[in-house]
Amino acid sequence: MSGHECDDALTNLYQYLDQEIEATTYEVIRAHLEDCSGCLRSFDFEARLKIVVRERLSEDVPPEFLNRLRDALAREAAEH
Amino acid sequence: MADQANFEGDAMQYTRQLYSAAMRMTRNPSDAEDLVQETFLKAYRAYHTFEEGTNLKAWLYRILTNTYINKYRKDSRRPSEVDLGSVEDLYLYRNIGSEESAEAARTTEDLVLEGLVESDIKKAVEDLPENFRLPVLLADLEGFSYKEIAEILDIPIGTVMSRLHRGRKAMQKSLWDYAMKRGLVPEGAERP
Repeated sequence: MSGHECDDALTNLYQYLDQEIEATTYEVIRAHLEDCSGCLRSFDFEARLKIVVRERLSEDVPPEFLNRLRDALAREAAEH
Repeated sequence: MADQANFEGDAMQYTRQLYSAAMRMTRNPSDAEDLVQETFLKAYRAYHTFEEGTNLKAWLYRILTNTYINKYRKDSRRPSEVDLGSVEDLYLYRNIGSEESAEAARTTEDLVLEGLVESDIKKAVEDLPENFRLPVLLADLEGFSYKEIAEILDIPIGTVMSRLHRGRKAMQKSLWDYAMKRGLVPEGAERP
């Protein structure tokens, strides 16, 4: 399926995934995704990519740094 | 008004997130540590001005990004615009799906999502010009709303949306290049 509905859905894809969309538009897109496997696949891919990006950008804080940070805050607190 | 005595208990829970963002901003652990430490010290000193019950995480991020922008952004020679040329929306998805059966495309989608390693994704973000990198980090790493990002970066919400859009597009272009380099996409999927 492709046409106005698909174009509208894809135009709003990020706002939909970011949950930055009005309730009525959200409903229209959600209903479209139930009917249109093509759009559903692209939305699903982008949603999974978003999760992958988030997970793989996360860093472990080096424990030594955490200690230094606590020390720095304690020093700051002691001085004032 | 927040009590300084509670600062550590209130704010330190965000250390990992702030550090992750700082790593992508400064691109190296030693500057990231300095940036996070300076952020916490500034936040501690100003904690009496923080209004309790409002968004502490966004407040800390505002200090983080301002500190970064004022202190660490020294290489103004880096490009401030992304060259998107003919890069279309959903670039990664559309390239994976080109010239293949739906089933083969689905397999490739899984391979790409599983096979892009941390360093690919980190590099794709780090290579974004700053104007685009910060909104992408705030949205995709931290999950801040457009409104929160606009407040943190002190730019209009429309600018947040357009930078996010272009930044994500540019990222998808790099991710596609990494996917090809790693052999995650079959021969022939590569466009001329």
